[in-house]
Amino acid sequence: MNRVQDIVAAVDTLPPLHDTTLRLLTVLRDPHSSIEDIVEVIRYDEALTGQVLRLCNSVYFGLNRKINSLSEAMVCLGTTKLLHLIMAAHSSALLGKEQRGYGLPPGHLWQHSVGVALACDILGEKTRVPNPAPLFTAGLLHDIGKVVLNEYVAAEYAQIARLVHQERYAFNEAERMVLGYDHCEVGALLAEKWNLSAGLIRCIRWHHEPQSATPDTPDDPDRVYVDLVYLADVLCLMLGLGIGADGLNYRSDEDVLTRYHLTERDLEQIGARVVAELIQVKQMASQS
Amino acid sequence: MSDAEHKPSDPTMDHVVDIADYRVAKGNGETSLLVTYSLGSCIGVTVWDPVVRVGGMLHYMLPDSSISPDKARQNPAMFADTGLPLLFRAAYKLGAEKKRLVVKVAGGSQLLDDNGTFNIGKRNYLILRKIFWKNGIMIHGEHVGGSLSRTMRLDLCTGAVTIRSKEGEVEI
Repeated sequence: MNRVQDIVAAVDTLPPLHDTTLRLLTVLRDPHSSIEDIVEVIRYDEALTGQVLRLCNSVYFGLNRKINSLSEAMVCLGTTKLLHLIMAAHSSALLGKEQRGYGLPPGHLWQHSVGVALACDILGEKTRVPNPAPLFTAGLLHDIGKVVLNEYVAAEYAQIARLVHQERYAFNEAERMVLGYDHCEVGALLAEKWNLSAGLIRCIRWHHEPQSATPDTPDDPDRVYVDLVYLADVLCLMLGLGIGADGLNYRSDEDVLTRYHLTERDLEQIGARVVAELIQVKQMASQS
Repeated sequence: MSDAEHKPSDPTMDHVVDIADYRVAKGNGETSLLVTYSLGSCIGVTVWDPVVRVGGMLHYMLPDSSISPDKARQNPAMFADTGLPLLFRAAYKLGAEKKRLVVKVAGGSQLLDDNGTFNIGKRNYLILRKIFWKNGIMIHGEHVGGSLSRTMRLDLCTGAVTIRSKEGEVEI
């Protein structure tokens, strides 16, 4: 088998996304989901139910009474915030390991992914995206391809590094030249295998090259998701959140900021919020 | 890519300075090394007084606290204009003197082909130069710009500052 076939085969060997996570993704995708729908997904997962109740009763939320049931938890905290926290905590099994090829110690890819998810959420609010629900998940999963490509990048690191540092290729361009795939393409393959929505797959596929995302229609309403994941990723890389061997060696697409009338000051404000919220999420994750 | 790049060699003697964080210490105390990881567009600043062997390190992420005064109140080390005075005052408190301070700077990376839109790195560096110029502080060594992720270390006993990146390790 050649390397390209090897990588595709590796996509198949990665354990499937946790069943509860997949079902939560489906519920989240539907703007008409009710609290009962969400409770229905979580209640069958004992470990998750326990985690949710521990989260709600943790110092992080500072509630003055004890929460004993899932529905109570949802009412007290609001479903979106709680679901985001659950997703963030849940994703650590998938994203928490060391990614040697990318020079990321344990926890760093998870921290980057949660940072991008939080930034996506804030950007969605700032740009008034009509349905912001998929943004958090898109941010959380954008780099999932790195988990598969990691060992291949580690094996060919010298060649990739030469292309990046001496010939000034972007890191994902060098991945494609050396391995046949970059982490965005591999992430999209994985997302397809997990039956994630077409919108999520596009965000993962084009998060370093939003200008190349083929629009579905000339006035593509979904384009905003790809653009905002790109911006959130760039922002977190600049802030050094889970930045690894790839550094900031990615192409800049300056049109994205102007398309949403965002300024550098807006980005900096969002960055300050992301870091403050990330510190809270990390504290909460360590308490739960 | 090795673990050693990310983990302190002896955790009891090293102190990690997080993003939006600072620390000062004496060279003969419990902490012998200050280290900060993952400097992208953020800036790491070290100060060291060779006579009293007092050193400090700041890892700030944004140039100007006026964008978010409440965040600056909660965490002044997040911004250059509120973080730098903290670092210097804390070093003076431990006996360091301004005229003897050796100041070094690292970070301020940018994306490839950036023409000034995503310029947090450049703005972080320029405000530092401005604040230093106003206060008569000289930079003795620096490793800034490019698209690298950097690790910065200050040896509190010798004052040596080393920068590790994918381009190798250098003393500045």
